[in-house]
Amino acid sequence: MNARRRAWLTATTAATALALTACGTADSGTTAPGANDDGGGSDSGDRTIVNVVKLAGGDWFNRMEVGNQEYAQEHSIRVDQTAGDDASEEKQIAVLNDLIAQRPAALTVVPNSPESLEAVLKRARDTGIVVITHEAPGITNADANLEAFVNEDYGAHQMDLLAECLGNEGSYAHVVGSLSVASHNMWAAGALERAGEEYPDITRVADPISSEESQETAYNRTRELLATYPDIRGFLGSASTDVAGIGRALEEAGRQDDTCVVGTSTPAIAGNLLESGAVDVITAWDPALAGQAMLAAAELLLAGEELTDGTDLGIPGYESLGQDPDVPNSFFGNAWIDMTNENKDDYPF
Amino acid sequence: MTADVHAERAATSRRPGLAALRGRNNEGVLAGVILLLLLVMLVVEPSALTWGFAGDIIRSGLVTLALALGLLLIIISGGMDVSFTAIAVFSGYATVRLMTDLGIDGRVWPFLLAAAIGCALGSLNAVLVARYRMETLIASLGTQVIIRGFLLAFVGSTYLATLPPQLDSVGTTTIFRLGSSPVNIVVVPVALACVALALILRRTMFGRGVYAVGGDKESARRVGFHVARVQTGIYLLAGLFAGFAGMVHVVLSRHASPFDLVGMELNVIAAVVIGGALDRGGRGSVHGTVLGVLLVSLVQNSLVRLGISSYWHVLVIGLVILVGVAIQARSNARGAKRPRILEEVTP
Repeated sequence: MNARRRAWLTATTAATALALTACGTADSGTTAPGANDDGGGSDSGDRTIVNVVKLAGGDWFNRMEVGNQEYAQEHSIRVDQTAGDDASEEKQIAVLNDLIAQRPAALTVVPNSPESLEAVLKRARDTGIVVITHEAPGITNADANLEAFVNEDYGAHQMDLLAECLGNEGSYAHVVGSLSVASHNMWAAGALERAGEEYPDITRVADPISSEESQETAYNRTRELLATYPDIRGFLGSASTDVAGIGRALEEAGRQDDTCVVGTSTPAIAGNLLESGAVDVITAWDPALAGQAMLAAAELLLAGEELTDGTDLGIPGYESLGQDPDVPNSFFGNAWIDMTNENKDDYPF
Repeated sequence: MTADVHAERAATSRRPGLAALRGRNNEGVLAGVILLLLLVMLVVEPSALTWGFAGDIIRSGLVTLALALGLLLIIISGGMDVSFTAIAVFSGYATVRLMTDLGIDGRVWPFLLAAAIGCALGSLNAVLVARYRMETLIASLGTQVIIRGFLLAFVGSTYLATLPPQLDSVGTTTIFRLGSSPVNIVVVPVALACVALALILRRTMFGRGVYAVGGDKESARRVGFHVARVQTGIYLLAGLFAGFAGMVHVVLSRHASPFDLVGMELNVIAAVVIGGALDRGGRGSVHGTVLGVLLVSLVQNSLVRLGISSYWHVLVIGLVILVGVAIQARSNARGAKRPRILEEVTP
């Protein structure tokens, strides 16, 4: 009986919470008619931009929300962040469908799967909503897709960091979140190419290895790599938990001092491994700045201006956008950051 | 019907050696497959077969095994569950969150608390399945989303990189080393959980009930089992094991993340099914499940060692799982004529 009551309580709480959020957003739609009517015009103080992210919560998108609110205050607009409760494209499509009816001035979207959002984003643009995406290379139904950097350059930069740590020689393994994540594999390719060009004594022991985006799998694969290639000295990680799994395995094997680990991660995840020295450098782009850059790009388009090669969004790392010559709606900044044990406290995400 | 069964028994008793080797749930065949794989490795890459390898397999199989125990109960009873990973991650994460927020610490009680939380969450499934007679897969699909949503919205969504010191010390306590690989103390409670479940299944009336409900609900009811009560027990106990498994995961990986575990259901389901528990119900054993987990983690943790390109990993793992499930499915087709409950009856 108790259990039954608890189940009902959970369901009702969830339903109430949903109803409340829905009301909140609907209200903002009606009280801010300026945002509805002149999608291409004046800088109305009540303009609403909605930031749709992969998954609600999590350090990464919480940090993006911090950036959003900073920007909203400075430019006196309203920014809401929303997402489905799991990282599925279906949930994201449903969220976007609901938002179209509320007519925000612009949407800044971080898609779970760019291809699956094409149809719903087209509908949004058809109703006059400006659509800016992030981490969606090749998306067609967006006014602009903004990347923090060119993926291959970022991979090459990670190789530079690894080479510096290794003293320009040694063998390494590259762990990717999945063999089907485009960006991770571009980083791996960029790193390998840089090694081939600049560091002849650095070799990769095997094809990129998948961690299935799981820290536990990254740990297990690292143990296997250590057993199979006893003289391996370098590790590159791609998913944010990869370096954490790698670092743990190296610590347990007592190899943290004679190995170098470089990878994409956040201080929240890899902070104490940076302290112990099991992980040497983590690289990333700051989601707060990425969120702000998307908002800045949206505002620029709403003001009737255009994004071109060299546009300055006024956000650090996005001061001179590059434009992909083949894909005209694709822009990239130069916004990677390197974090070591010394400066990790400057990046609270 | 009875004549049929006797004929079947007569047929098996004519070659008792073989039948005994095969085991009631094909455990013998499974052990054979594992030996064959090891033999292949011995030929292809003899240097890979080390004690350290054995240690790594144990380490990587522990969480899967802990998760598989609760699922085994449900699958024997003819049900299917996909909410156990959500229950596990909820219990493990919420316990650590509570400890961190309140500043309390401990070594043993966090496991018990996580198991209790898991048991409470399992009651959701119990209510839906036993009281409202909902299809088990559908019910658990729903509870998985609710539990995970509740976890992210109300308990927390941040990655906890550091565990409370005493709890963390469990994750670094080694009982002995296999070659280069430390074997963690957590092996002991997981082994105890296996023994406990095996005893429950084989030695208690409740355990008989689990098999009976899985074989045929109506028959189970007619021989005097209270089906709803047995199902309630199953889902509460499964939740308990899932909660415990969540803590095993947290302690071994030495972090707590609300985004872990969910997504690895299929791995665990595959291990349990390969271990001889069939989704039709009424069959399965703890030692079969242990072998199933062993096979899955053996394959998963040997491909880099064998020098197989990672582009082939998913394919190879898929093939081995398919072979494992096919062996079980074939024997199931053969055994369809023999109701499980009658096999134990001495003529």
